[in-house]
Amino acid sequence: MSLVARHLEASGIPTVIMGCARDIVEHCGVPRFLFSDFPLGNSAGRPFDPESQAATLELALRVLEAAPAARTTVQSPQRWRNDASWKLDYSNLSTMTPEEIAEKRREFDVVKAVAKSKRDDA
Amino acid sequence: MDFAPEHDVPIPYMQRTRDYYLALGYGNPYRWAHFTDVPFTPLTKPLAQARVALITTAAHYQPGVGDQGPGAPYNAAAKFYKVYSDSTDTIPDLRISHVGYDRKHTRAEDPNTWFPLAQLQEAFKAGRIGELAPRFHGAPTNRSHRTTVETDAPELLRRCREDSADAAILVPT
Repeated sequence: MSLVARHLEASGIPTVIMGCARDIVEHCGVPRFLFSDFPLGNSAGRPFDPESQAATLELALRVLEAAPAARTTVQSPQRWRNDASWKLDYSNLSTMTPEEIAEKRREFDVVKAVAKSKRDDA
Repeated sequence: MDFAPEHDVPIPYMQRTRDYYLALGYGNPYRWAHFTDVPFTPLTKPLAQARVALITTAAHYQPGVGDQGPGAPYNAAAKFYKVYSDSTDTIPDLRISHVGYDRKHTRAEDPNTWFPLAQLQEAFKAGRIGELAPRFHGAPTNRSHRTTVETDAPELLRRCREDSADAAILVPT
């Protein structure tokens, strides 16, 4: 999506990305980025919380209007939880047993094969 | 001084993912897109007069390709490989079972958390944005960088121009 934002922007359409993966988006380099420090999948606000969602969009619109230069990142002040321990869970090897790692490898090989056959058909 | 815990920072996804797939036995680590130069186009009209486009990585619900949630396991069969567009007048049935969201801490039960169309309709009614573009656009995931840059991004640009969009909001999952 960062590549798409760059392409639109280079072609004259201002963009803002709403996202949760700060390092990946900034590594690519995008014009404007509203970062929510939430689990992946919640780029537009907290589930079943219209106030959080409206505030997230409003902040994205402000970034779209007011960013002074490329690579403007604004971090939403919203917190997923007060306790930040959820951040330790995502793909964290130190919490997995060798059996779990082997099982994940089997699962991923299956997923890759499905994606490849779909892509080849597309 | 009472500082926040050291781990209370944005998750280092690139490092976690590299370490994870190496441990799973895959060599040749993924290279994320990376540039030093970044384009910038200022917004030339007030948002209250601008036509705004919405671009998502979410997919339409597709009967017959397995569990697509809420809370579904990763479902590669639900992926799509061509840019699609649909009306912004109504709320479509979109899902994100085909992307790697945080399945431990979120179940993808509320589409408004990854697809802010309802919020944008409200922003239009409130006069915050001038117009919502007539269509939103779906951007394929799981593409090579080359395909994204040479095929999908130009197609999305073409559609945004066709809709006379003044600005675009992109929401990856």
